Amino acid sequence: MVADSLKVCTVCASNNNRSMESHKQLKDAGFDVSSFGTGSSVKLPGPSIDRPNIYEFGTPYETIYQDLLSQEYRKMYEANGLISMLDRNRHVKKAPEKWHNNANAGKFDLVITCEERCFDSVVEDLMNRMNNKSEDAEEKDVRKVVHIINIDIKDDNENAKIGGKGIVRLVKMIDEYREKEKQRKIDEGDEDQYPVLLEDNIMKILTEWQREHTHLPTLYTASYY
Amino acid sequence: MDDSTILTQLDQARELAFSNRDVFPQVVKQILNLVSNPSAAVQRWCSVFLKQAFSAADSHVSPGVKVDLAIDALPALKVLANVRDLDVFKNAIDVSILVFKLTFRYVAENDGSSHVWSGVNDLKNELVAKFDTQFPFESTFDKEHDSLRNIDAKLELLKFVVTVVDYQSRSVSSKHYSLARINPNHTLIKPALMESEAAALVDVMLRTLQNDILVTPLVTATLNHLAVLVRRKRQYMDKIVPVLESLDTTQKLQSNYESLETFKLSRKYVDRTLRVLLGYMVKCQVVPPKYQAAVSRKLSVLTARGDEIRKKNILLPSPEDSAVRKRKLDGFENSSKKLRTVDYKHLYCLTDPANELNNFDLSTVSQNILVTMALTALNKVDSRKLSKALEIISDRYLDAVKDLVPTAAPQTIKQEDDNEDDDEAAESYNPETTFTLPPPKLLSFQEKKDHVALIIRNFFALANTGKPADDELQAAPNGISKELTKVAIQSWRQDSWVLLLTRLATRGLHTVDSESTDGKENSELSDMVRRALFDHFLEKIHERVDLVIEWLNEEWYSEKVVNEQKARDEIREKWFKKYEETPNEVDDVELQISKEVEALDIPTPRYNEWGQKVLDAMIPFLEPTDRKIFLRLLSDLPTLTPEMVHGIKSLCQDPARTKLGFLSLQFLMMYRPPAKPACLDVLRELAEGDQEDLKEEAQKLLTKYA
Repeated sequence: MVADSLKVCTVCASNNNRSMESHKQLKDAGFDVSSFGTGSSVKLPGPSIDRPNIYEFGTPYETIYQDLLSQEYRKMYEANGLISMLDRNRHVKKAPEKWHNNANAGKFDLVITCEERCFDSVVEDLMNRMNNKSEDAEEKDVRKVVHIINIDIKDDNENAKIGGKGIVRLVKMIDEYREKEKQRKIDEGDEDQYPVLLEDNIMKILTEWQREHTHLPTLYTASYY
Repeated sequence: MDDSTILTQLDQARELAFSNRDVFPQVVKQILNLVSNPSAAVQRWCSVFLKQAFSAADSHVSPGVKVDLAIDALPALKVLANVRDLDVFKNAIDVSILVFKLTFRYVAENDGSSHVWSGVNDLKNELVAKFDTQFPFESTFDKEHDSLRNIDAKLELLKFVVTVVDYQSRSVSSKHYSLARINPNHTLIKPALMESEAAALVDVMLRTLQNDILVTPLVTATLNHLAVLVRRKRQYMDKIVPVLESLDTTQKLQSNYESLETFKLSRKYVDRTLRVLLGYMVKCQVVPPKYQAAVSRKLSVLTARGDEIRKKNILLPSPEDSAVRKRKLDGFENSSKKLRTVDYKHLYCLTDPANELNNFDLSTVSQNILVTMALTALNKVDSRKLSKALEIISDRYLDAVKDLVPTAAPQTIKQEDDNEDDDEAAESYNPETTFTLPPPKLLSFQEKKDHVALIIRNFFALANTGKPADDELQAAPNGISKELTKVAIQSWRQDSWVLLLTRLATRGLHTVDSESTDGKENSELSDMVRRALFDHFLEKIHERVDLVIEWLNEEWYSEKVVNEQKARDEIREKWFKKYEETPNEVDDVELQISKEVEALDIPTPRYNEWGQKVLDAMIPFLEPTDRKIFLRLLSDLPTLTPEMVHGIKSLCQDPARTKLGFLSLQFLMMYRPPAKPACLDVLRELAEGDQEDLKEEAQKLLTKYA
């Protein structure tokens, strides 16, 4: 992947369904992508609505997969798609990751959340990060602009796939603007012409995308960290 | 040496620097010397390298060395901050943030390092002044259009502005570096000055939220950055909270450059970001008690609005759409200055190119009707807008034409090398002969004009290079340049060229006998310079008021001195003649001469002429927001003729600018008494005119000031 490629991450609550489906689809489309969850722990459906399976972030998908297979409700998990979801996830990456602990992943150009509460959580967390760096770290730090877009996706298998397609479409539209500017420089020899700037067009892109995906409401903010 | 070769060598230098910490400082210093390279590719490379260098970990470059390099980097960054390339500019901002932090702390801990401190301030001022401008691109006349463009650079500059606010103001906690760490008796870093500068920058940031339209990336970025200030700088809460409380997206106007759908999404996005920020403030317990109720109400309103919006598809037409108000359009739908298709239709088209009206064939309409239509349109159009339209069309034409003009190939004259000439020259050489240079050829008037035009062009080219050199000019041994550097140019600055051109126009080309042929010719030559200065002013009226004030003051002063001297000579001749005829009747000749000269009103027709041109050119383009620069012009012009004052009448008669007009008249009557009679004349004309609202206002002022 070239140095100036778009760095994208997807975020949902547990880093198991919506964010992983879009992680997989973006990865298959060739993008540099990571994914995270904003919950305090990983919650998966259990035998009944009030008895979820709970795991720590960082627990490998393989481990969760084996744990669910070893439970007596295995057939229910297979029937509701949980097993196949985890099987997909373990082939994408090792374990679910918590958004709030992702400093080691570096900084992203684009953060796509899948639920309004996750959007709020990410935006607020970036506010905290701007405020809470140690003095030494802050002296060496230059804040980076990050675009945070929320795409509201219902948390079930079918809607995660539909949402994933929408997210891939959006990221491609954004990436195309960056490609347009590179191409313009080649064609016009970097003349003193006004460039095609992503930031100037982000609202046009979102409007166009929203018009095509009215079932997936959006939120957007520009922030730093 | 071409760019790719240089870049290859630079890549090798970078490999070396980052693999060997011992040579790292030397490599960085060498790169700092390269930032003035005229190649954009090299400058881009340098800016990326410096960003990597100043982000390097302590294991590779020790803090002490990094501070030394930061001090060395200050002048280089000032150069990079003025390069008109977006990538270079953005990287320069990022490096400047790091360098500002390092050097600011260095000065704080090393009182007396005034050289470093002036470098820090130069860099800071250079970048802060570009906030909310179009740099590195050109501004257009359409402020609304400009506010929605170049957001990339604005988002980057916001980082720098917040960094400056953070370092130059006190913080509530000692966890982060702030003004509170600095000795209050520091001789260079004055707390009161730092704090007031920071407060002014906070006001600048908040202006984005108070704009009548929503520039969503910039508004949301500002809200997100305020999260830092609200937690660290409680002293600004009385500024910040009222602005957040009054930020109401339902009152914002739809921009002419966004669709209704985009505007509805914008309002949703800004509301959500504001809600998260207010929630963050409540959670961190930083809301002052007196604002807590208002913030809670605001949060409730935003939450309810968000819940309501979630239930529906806001892009669908809705009854609430009729409540959306659009901002008044300032500009043109098609303001491109490049001609894509070379034909008359595209040359003159200023509306949306897709508009079907553009396909109407006007030649099918009779000539008489066309003439009537054109005259009616010209009568109705705002002259300022018409001027801008013609400027766009002119730029398109020049852009299309420039590619067609052939460049004459210079003829190479080959001369055979005749060996016999050398022998002949040797034989005829006579060591006793005295050689003299031939006398210079007299220039024809046309040749003089060509040379003056060349001089003017060179000065403007000098201005556009933008290469500042703050060193004191080295005075030449001879007296001429010494006098000039002593009086007018202590050090060369980017705008020093104005001084030279101004002096050339007013003094250098002056002739005592203006009625002679030579005098008339010199007058024409100096008017060429004046015309160039005037045209330069016209290009960017708002940004070049200072230039024109300086020029006109010099114009007036030179004319006063010259005309007074001429009058004095005439008076002296008269009195000496009288003394010779009747010596007993004249007791003190010098005293009589001085008294009479002092009683004279020295005329300044040339200053009057050009001052009038400046006002006539400027007044049609004034906007209500231009109060400051217009009043500055009125207060700084050395004198105002009745004709100049009369030009303000048109301001009073324009409904959109009538306040500015009357305010100007009041200003002049209060602060420039010599202009008062002319102001009263204007007011009397308005009071006797046929516009009722103007009569009332004029009469009120007449009652007060007459």
